[in-house]
Amino acid sequence: MKKRYAVLGIALTAALALTGCTAGGSTAQNGNGVSGEPVKGGTLHVLQNADFSHLDPTMGFDGGVNNMYRLIYRTLTTQSTGEGAEGTEMVPDLATDLGTPNADATEWTFTLKDDIFFEDGSPITSADVKFGVERAFDPALAIGSPYARILLAGADDYQGPYISGDMPAIQTPDDKTIVFSLSKPFADFASAVGQNVFVPFPADGDVTATSVDQQPIASGPYRVESYQRGSELVLVRNEHWDPKTDEVRKAYPDSFVWTFGLDSSTVDERMIAGQGDDKDAIAGSVQAASIPRIQTDEIKERTISGIQGCTTYLGLNTTKEVMSDPLVRQAISYAVDKVSVQSGTGGTLLADVANTMLPPTVAGQTEFNLYQSDDDKGDPEKAKSLLTEAGYPDGIEFTMDIRNQPKMQAQAEAVQQSLAKAGITVNFNLIDTSTYYEVIGTTTQQNDAAITGWCPDWATGATFLPPLFEGSQIYEKGNSNIAQLNDPGVNSRITEINAMTDVDEANKAWGALDEQILELAPAVPLLFEKTVMVVGSNIAGAYSHAGFSGGIDYVSVGLASVPE
Amino acid sequence: MVLYLLRRILSALGILLLISLFTYAIFFLLSPDPAVLICGKTCTPERIDQIRGQLGLDQPFWVQYWEFLRGLVAGRSYGDGPSAIDCAAPCLGFSFQTNESVTNMITSRFPVSATLAIGAAVLWLLAGIGGGLLSAVKQGTWWDRGAMMVALGGISLPNYFVALILQYVLVVQLQILPFPTAVEFGENPLLWFQSYLMPWLVLAFAYASMYARLVRTNVIDTLGENFMRTARAKGLAAPLILRRHALRPALTPVVTLFGMDFAGLLGGALITETVFGLNGVGKLAADSIAKNDQPVIMGVTLLAALFVVFGNVIVDILYTVLDPRVRVTSR
Repeated sequence: MKKRYAVLGIALTAALALTGCTAGGSTAQNGNGVSGEPVKGGTLHVLQNADFSHLDPTMGFDGGVNNMYRLIYRTLTTQSTGEGAEGTEMVPDLATDLGTPNADATEWTFTLKDDIFFEDGSPITSADVKFGVERAFDPALAIGSPYARILLAGADDYQGPYISGDMPAIQTPDDKTIVFSLSKPFADFASAVGQNVFVPFPADGDVTATSVDQQPIASGPYRVESYQRGSELVLVRNEHWDPKTDEVRKAYPDSFVWTFGLDSSTVDERMIAGQGDDKDAIAGSVQAASIPRIQTDEIKERTISGIQGCTTYLGLNTTKEVMSDPLVRQAISYAVDKVSVQSGTGGTLLADVANTMLPPTVAGQTEFNLYQSDDDKGDPEKAKSLLTEAGYPDGIEFTMDIRNQPKMQAQAEAVQQSLAKAGITVNFNLIDTSTYYEVIGTTTQQNDAAITGWCPDWATGATFLPPLFEGSQIYEKGNSNIAQLNDPGVNSRITEINAMTDVDEANKAWGALDEQILELAPAVPLLFEKTVMVVGSNIAGAYSHAGFSGGIDYVSVGLASVPE
Repeated sequence: MVLYLLRRILSALGILLLISLFTYAIFFLLSPDPAVLICGKTCTPERIDQIRGQLGLDQPFWVQYWEFLRGLVAGRSYGDGPSAIDCAAPCLGFSFQTNESVTNMITSRFPVSATLAIGAAVLWLLAGIGGGLLSAVKQGTWWDRGAMMVALGGISLPNYFVALILQYVLVVQLQILPFPTAVEFGENPLLWFQSYLMPWLVLAFAYASMYARLVRTNVIDTLGENFMRTARAKGLAAPLILRRHALRPALTPVVTLFGMDFAGLLGGALITETVFGLNGVGKLAADSIAKNDQPVIMGVTLLAALFVVFGNVIVDILYTVLDPRVRVTSR
């Protein structure tokens, strides 16, 4: 099995090398149509394997659905457009600016723009924004973004407008002004109000807890015309959306049509063939097996790639005896051959080597490499000397949780083989994909190490480092701090940064904290994985947006030409 | 006869109850906690407990199973207060991942699976019985050998392989068919037919191959019986002998097989629907397994069991029509 994946990885890397693949940046491979200016009109098709989780924005919470939500919903702020870090910058959306905090950033005031309407033509008021946020607290809906629950004052006991009534933490002195009271200072609240739980809904009493998922109410440039779950979603223009109030959404096509339920290999086949309506189609990332097939000049012309904005890493469980010594964890950090892990993932086109926990799309990310080796191929000698210093001259043995999925197994085998050179024996605990995150998120069930990944909810360290490394966020179940790091220095620094009122200063501090954390080596950053997508020959304005897991930014894409 | 029917139906219901109990127990004991899956990446134990309470997962097994059975007959609701979710009878459960009742999810996708099953069944019965009969009559000829070789291929080649080859040749290379798309008959009959043609052919190829071999063997056996010699000696025409005396007894095991196969297909053709992107019950099962959406997996399992068990009952009834000996012993 090990050998098979190693051979597969080598074969894929060789294929990529032979076909002239180079390290993919977050750019289109050429500008012919793909990155050109789209025209207004036409129908843009999206071919997709799985349907969206929910149409109700308080429930959906992943890169793909967040991207689609921007077409039908607006929030107080939103991510900008553009490639890389440019696209993850927060800009005003329904609000006139990024909000005004009080002196200690515990109270935030936003003013709504003029001429903003729901799809039925009724104006969007501050009461509608308040209702939208309150609604997200309902027990039946509270499965989406948690930031309203985490940040707003009195959120612990509040269960939404249908059960608890009014939420005092949100005040609306007039139709245009909304004031949020927070439970603690939070400098990055302008980013938090860009989350989907801040989408407004009419506060006139017609919206129930479950109605939005069946009948969404648009505030963005498109509204839902028809939806057959698992088969098709059709969006058409919302006539009441005024482009003058929206600096982010270009809304080029007249309609979007998603076709769901397509087998991933069929999607690749259709995008490569590019026949009929598929000329006007886009899709998600191609499968690694299809990569060698997209190396023809014609398909390269319409291939784009971009970083997903997430980090794949090896978490080391600091509560286990073998991992409790920082020297051991540092030895592992030195020994891992990241290039081999990259090859197992599909090569340079599908991943960059990571040396920091924060991905490059996160504001304030600082470049550093604490555990350097020649060409990132690992330094087993340095690892051996650290292990000897730690009292393990004969090496160590530990168990790593891995997901029963080819890519993750290939990554795990690359780690296993590189650590073996330093005298470290790695045993695998192979876990079914469906139960993987439950096992590694249960402190009593997780083993010594695990390969996993993390994407920030917005592109700052605030939603990246605390969930992974703050001691107070170690939970018995549903735990994301799989290193179970509970270091007083790290904990107090997180508290200090959270209290900062200057968001730029906080972002820089997160970048520095990344280095402080990795000095303790509770995790080994492995890769920044990428998305590679083939689009139809009539697609223009397509680029990979790092804020939406590297997917094509729906608000900017369109057709290169539309028949008269 | 009525008593026989009642007995068969009651025993079928008993089997279904047992299947539901085993299925529920398997999911209860072996599946990961759906509350953790629903809770997502930024989760707390309190939130998991809240979701467990809302889903009724904090109740003992027998309480949960009883609630499930009650929901099938009388409907049920999840949670309480203004945000309670109603699930009308027959409630097969509620998917908290898609926010839909499992019954609705299945019924909205059933027409696709039924269309697929009916179309494929027509093709495979025609090709399987016709091909098998011809092979038997022309035993030992090139036709017989060629047909049986094709049939062997149909049995040995996996569905997904045939599907991908067919799609590559007919759609990508020759471009005589479009990629299958989710279109309803009333919307565009031609595109509807084109979209189903490849899935029908793929399913029919596999089943027709089995049926052809079975029919051939049975007809050859029957043709060697003494009563066939008698029929020929009486001067009956060859087509009449074949139709009335050879085919009828040879078809009895085919009816059994067809009942089971067709009923199984109504419960969803998982691989064919997945490869061609047909949003039927089989595709729903595949998607739900990938997402570990337990209530849906259980609902689809029970539906498939329902079809197979009642398909069996219908086959038993048909037996009494086809074979008078069964009618006599069943009294």
